[in-house]
Amino acid sequence: MIQLLNIEKIYRTKTIETTALNNINLNIKKGEFVAIMGPSGCGKSTLLNIMGLLDVPTAGTITMDNQAVTSLSRKKLAVFRNLKLGFIFQSYHLINDLSVIDNVELPLLYRNGISGAQRRKRALEALDKVGLSARTKHYPNQLSGGQRQRVAIARAIIGNPEILLADEPTGNLDSAMGEEVMSLMLHLNETDGTTIVMVTHDEHMAKKTQRIIHFFDGQQIS
Amino acid sequence: MLRKKYYTALTLVGISLTIIVITIFASFIDQIISANPPELNRDRTLILDKVSVYKNGKQTDAIPSINFLQKNIRDLESTETISYFSTKEFISFLHGKTAGHALKFTDENFWKITDFKFIKGKAFHLNEVKKGARVAVINEKTAAYFFNENDPMGKAINIQGITYRVIGVVKSATPFSKVYSDVYVPYTTDINIQQTDKAISGTYSAMLLAKTNDVKKVRAELKFRLKRKITVSDADSIKVHAFTSLEQFSKTSSFNDDEPEYGKTATVVLIVLALFMLIPAISLVNINVTRIGERAEEIGIRKSFGATSGTLVRQLVIENIIITLIGGLIGLGLSVYASPLLVNLINTFDPLFKMETNSFMISWRVFGFCLFSCLLLGLISGVYPAWKMSRMDVIYALKGGNNQ
Repeated sequence: MIQLLNIEKIYRTKTIETTALNNINLNIKKGEFVAIMGPSGCGKSTLLNIMGLLDVPTAGTITMDNQAVTSLSRKKLAVFRNLKLGFIFQSYHLINDLSVIDNVELPLLYRNGISGAQRRKRALEALDKVGLSARTKHYPNQLSGGQRQRVAIARAIIGNPEILLADEPTGNLDSAMGEEVMSLMLHLNETDGTTIVMVTHDEHMAKKTQRIIHFFDGQQIS
Repeated sequence: MLRKKYYTALTLVGISLTIIVITIFASFIDQIISANPPELNRDRTLILDKVSVYKNGKQTDAIPSINFLQKNIRDLESTETISYFSTKEFISFLHGKTAGHALKFTDENFWKITDFKFIKGKAFHLNEVKKGARVAVINEKTAAYFFNENDPMGKAINIQGITYRVIGVVKSATPFSKVYSDVYVPYTTDINIQQTDKAISGTYSAMLLAKTNDVKKVRAELKFRLKRKITVSDADSIKVHAFTSLEQFSKTSSFNDDEPEYGKTATVVLIVLALFMLIPAISLVNINVTRIGERAEEIGIRKSFGATSGTLVRQLVIENIIITLIGGLIGLGLSVYASPLLVNLINTFDPLFKMETNSFMISWRVFGFCLFSCLLLGLISGVYPAWKMSRMDVIYALKGGNNQ
């Protein structure tokens, strides 16, 4: 499903060159739930951003769903993200001016041929899946951290993406909320077959996934 | 918009002020050139107010005399009606107050070419002009000034030592128009008229209503007429200058005294408009860059979930145009209050000849032009910030526009 070949990411300023990722080769199969672990600054999030086509590697190629995506234009990348990928961020990244349901509908706004009524229906279904169908009219700042992350999950899954990329999704939550979010993702992986790549510091959460990849200083060590 | 109240308020104030200036500018031009009452035939009404006399290779320009006009500018095939008029001023002393008034000496045809709305009474007719009847038509402002609430009909009004009887009250014309006056009287009562009897130069103009919109035909006939029949023997040739209001405006704004140049006029108007808009547009661009910059995270989120740069530019520009239109409508509304203030300010410079406070009228044309200006301002001030923000790196944007 996701193939990374000789991926390198180097940040350059006038005086310093920092290697964030060094020769990464990774193959993630369809329907797999993978956890990426490592200390802060080891390149986990950079890797996830590159997988999510939010960032471009300095070298190497990325193939997703049998399609070479490294050379795609900005516009095609945006369309690819919209159709194939879903994101869950540590700090939720919800738009505070929009209601819960409007936040969830967001990915479908950028998809052609979906009416307002269809968007609303699918948003309600997604919110129902995460157990928040009673909070549709609320605004993000009226919700707890766990609830916000569940809204973020609903937004990530509304477009039925094949790949879900989660950057420390339980990092800002207490253990109970974290468990709740984790079980939601496990459920999505098991029932819908969604491929999930999750960056985490939490070994307990990582152990629940099918595979753990360890990173250190920009390199994959296991 | 509501989230960033400070920026929104600042934007709205900037736009409103710009639109007030543009509205007054547009209203002024509209009143000079457009067909507004009482000049509904402006597009085929020519004002002949200058005559050039050529003698021994020298050109002398002058305002024509009534004698010259009546002898040469009459019975033209291409015109429907011709009227002669002269604009003067007189001072009144009333209840210890001194005031200046515009006075127009004219004929019965003046009322046929124009469409003055008579609130009371009627215009003077041919017989009254022929007899030199001391009758006057006054405008609303003058009626209110001299007679307060009383009925002015049949009352006497003293002008330059001559007593006239008020026979009609008209709705005022715009003070920026050639037909504006406070008092209109028959030209045959003009005591100075005889002094210019034999000369070309005088104080009179002719207003020619062409039969069709082809005003060039009138000019061609005038040229032909003057070539054939020079009434002043010692001149080599004579040329008269007769143009419509629009042509006159075009001549003035294109700095060409002979012919209107509409291309140059459009350029000048656009330059003036650009000058009015430039500083507000630059300020709005800066405000928008900051305002949209504060939405970096939102832009990052939208891009993560598939918004293309084009979609974001569209969204941000439309938002900006909506704000600009709101500001523009506020500006248009405020113009209604701002224009009398401007007139009062102008009146302080010339307290003798006071303009009416409702001198700047906002027509549908002005309204449309101002809305167009709003759209233009919205586009100019919105496109660059929107384009800049839409190109923002997603990761950078998700961090709220900072690298930490």
